[in-house]
Amino acid sequence: MGGSVDSATTPVLEVRGLVKEFPGVKALVGVDFDVRAGEVHCLLGPNGAGKSTLIKCVSGVVEPTGGEIYLGGELLPVGDPAASLERGVATIYQELDLVDDLTVAQSVFLAHEPRRGPLLDLDRMSKETTALLARLGHAGIPPRAKISSLRPAAQQVVSIARALSRDVRLLIMDEPSAILDEGEIETLFNVVRRLTADGVAVIYITHRLDEIRRIGDRVTVLTDGRTAATGLAASTPTNELVELMVGRAVEQLYPERPVGRGEVVLEVRRLRRLPEVRSVSLELRAGEVVGLGGLVGAGRTELLRLIYGLDEADEGEVYVDGTQLPPNRPDRAIAAGLGFAPEDRKSQGLLLDWSLTKNVSLADLGRFQRGLLNVRAERTAALEQLRALKTVPDDPDRRVGDLSGGNQQKVVLARWLLRHCRVLLLDEPTRGVDVPTKAELYRVITALAEEGLAVLVVSSELEELIGVCTRILVMREGELVFEIEGSKATEHELLRYAVAPTESEDFIEEVG
Amino acid sequence: MTAGESGAPAAAIEGAGAQRRLGGFALQEYALVIVVVLLFVAGAILKPDSFPTWDNVRNMLTQASVVGVLAMGMTFVIATSGIDLSVGSVLAAAGMFGGILVDPEGSTLLFIVGAVGFATLLGTVNATAISYGRVVPFIATLAMFSIARGIALLLNDKLPVSLLDLNGGSFGDPAAFSLLWFGTGRILGIPISVYVFLGITIGAWILLNRTRYGRFVVAVGGNRQAAKIAGVPVRRTIFSVYMLMGVLVGVAAVLLCARLGSASPVSGNLYELDAIGAVVIGGTSLAGGRASIVGTFLGVLTFALIFSLMTQLDLSTEVQQVTKGAIVLGAVLLQRPEARL
Repeated sequence: MGGSVDSATTPVLEVRGLVKEFPGVKALVGVDFDVRAGEVHCLLGPNGAGKSTLIKCVSGVVEPTGGEIYLGGELLPVGDPAASLERGVATIYQELDLVDDLTVAQSVFLAHEPRRGPLLDLDRMSKETTALLARLGHAGIPPRAKISSLRPAAQQVVSIARALSRDVRLLIMDEPSAILDEGEIETLFNVVRRLTADGVAVIYITHRLDEIRRIGDRVTVLTDGRTAATGLAASTPTNELVELMVGRAVEQLYPERPVGRGEVVLEVRRLRRLPEVRSVSLELRAGEVVGLGGLVGAGRTELLRLIYGLDEADEGEVYVDGTQLPPNRPDRAIAAGLGFAPEDRKSQGLLLDWSLTKNVSLADLGRFQRGLLNVRAERTAALEQLRALKTVPDDPDRRVGDLSGGNQQKVVLARWLLRHCRVLLLDEPTRGVDVPTKAELYRVITALAEEGLAVLVVSSELEELIGVCTRILVMREGELVFEIEGSKATEHELLRYAVAPTESEDFIEEVG
Repeated sequence: MTAGESGAPAAAIEGAGAQRRLGGFALQEYALVIVVVLLFVAGAILKPDSFPTWDNVRNMLTQASVVGVLAMGMTFVIATSGIDLSVGSVLAAAGMFGGILVDPEGSTLLFIVGAVGFATLLGTVNATAISYGRVVPFIATLAMFSIARGIALLLNDKLPVSLLDLNGGSFGDPAAFSLLWFGTGRILGIPISVYVFLGITIGAWILLNRTRYGRFVVAVGGNRQAAKIAGVPVRRTIFSVYMLMGVLVGVAAVLLCARLGSASPVSGNLYELDAIGAVVIGGTSLAGGRASIVGTFLGVLTFALIFSLMTQLDLSTEVQQVTKGAIVLGAVLLQRPEARL
């Protein structure tokens, strides 16, 4: 499905017996891996398996303790980012390393600007940027546009163009699809296919198994710093890949869907905040998980923020148990029983330098204060919730920043469980979380619903919505356009409603 | 991909950061205890006759108590990732305002109420500008730095006000309850102002570490978005720290005027640097999210020891000023890797 593979050529990248030891931890214990020109080689494995360390060794950011890396048949001097860069290795990180205030052209040529004498050759910069973007099929992105005015997908294209500006032979992409919706992922795949057709080798890291079949040629599975399997065909069945990753048979990724026929707990009436949200009404019953699907930019996050009172609505009301919430008052929403796990755990959900205990108790400190805070009771109560969610590690004094993404998400959930919240708003709860932990989060969400919570989940992974939700709502351009029972939904149908009838390649959009 | 996602190796490296805390007492605080002890020992060796005497210690603590009270308030301000540059000027303005009220023969109580009230008022102006006017703390308090100093100079036409003749006692009788009693009186041989400083330190520790309010203060500094989503009243919290700072500036003004027996429009010069410096060497993060009252207390002692020592070694105030700045700069540099700037 990707580019054609010519097995006769020498591989662009060859990794032999790579070992990397950090003080106290062996991150890589013998990894073998190769990537050929024109192929998309997917790298799969749970968090902590060593994927990041492996690509950092290749890009020269990390110096391996043992083993060899060959680029184009030549031994690569390790631990030297400049050497890797010179030999055509480029990395696109999950969290894009673009500067918001620079223009597209400035970003593409950042740190290697073309010059005429001592002055910048702005003309050439602009022209070459356009040419590079055209090569990626995105001539429509203006070179003079500010990065901050572009949507994430367009920013990613700019990142790739930047890699191309340095004559890339090996492109490493670290979970590029995590910030994209279905439509944009297809756009990304088209870009990748253009690159491989030009003979560029691509390493593609992902947690989304469906993508491997769609874009990959071969797969390598890493577990515990080892290659569990290397160079498998991309057509390897999903079950087999998951088993390789987990090291045992996985019974089921998704638990049974909750039925949810309780009372209406949350009612949203004609909520509006232009331009993102236009007149949305919905009901949430106790015991059900309702999915909110749609493209990035459809207004889903904005809707959750409105319900929770983080932004002020132009009009419309939110009721919990029939009582109206005051606008713009998250504290009152919390008191009424709402809980919110934001999309970006690190920047919005958690205080990374704080202990697990303090993060869990922050929304419910009042209960521990009798004159003074009873810190012992606080710690015990937090520990109880963390254990119930099987958080690893469950040391309540540990710094939250040390935990993996999935476990950080559990800390956020523990906060709302401690608070006995009754309506949970989850924004992309499994983003950046590996497959085994995803399965665990699905079980937690389902179990919470069965205990009587009402859960509203925003997710860009349609498969996930179908697997977990009692009902699914699709949002498009600020409106709910479709509703279906989870058991009857198909990805195809959901996507059809999510994508606007008049599809445009218009990437320039104000960012709120 | 950020540290949290990259799994085992990154966690192991960052684990070292988590282990910096030993039994709830940060490494920096241990280090400061050692610094304080070393400074004292150094003083005792260099000036065996005058330094390690009860008189000198008492003097040091009395002088440190004014900046100490400011530093406690400053710890809360900095914990929210804010700053208050106006404390020295507000201190002078508060003393002058109280002085004008009672000049020439008002009551001590009226002076205290006037000084604390006026400082609180100016603190509230800062608070309003910052939390509701959304002015950056640096700018808002820099403006107040100028405004308050101007007020202090205007109030009595650039002249100081004598407070020696307030009712309830006179300069000659420090044992009676009077303004001077606050400045020079003692209980069990320890000056009243030192009791005030210690009392405020303990109160500040409890407020920061054992109340919901204290948790909110640090949460607001650590991650404003996350705090808001967790239901923390962000604006009210920010408002409150600048107001609290105002109250404590008033207290510090009373202590200083009581000791000097007068209110001076040029007093409190550069006190903001002393207070901020003590907070920073105490380990409170200028980026917010981490605050230590014990650290601030030790920071105040460290400063006091250094300057007492330098004075006794006959080093000029100019040299002391250079040293002070250098220490603050050094402390911020040491903090840098943790602040992740």
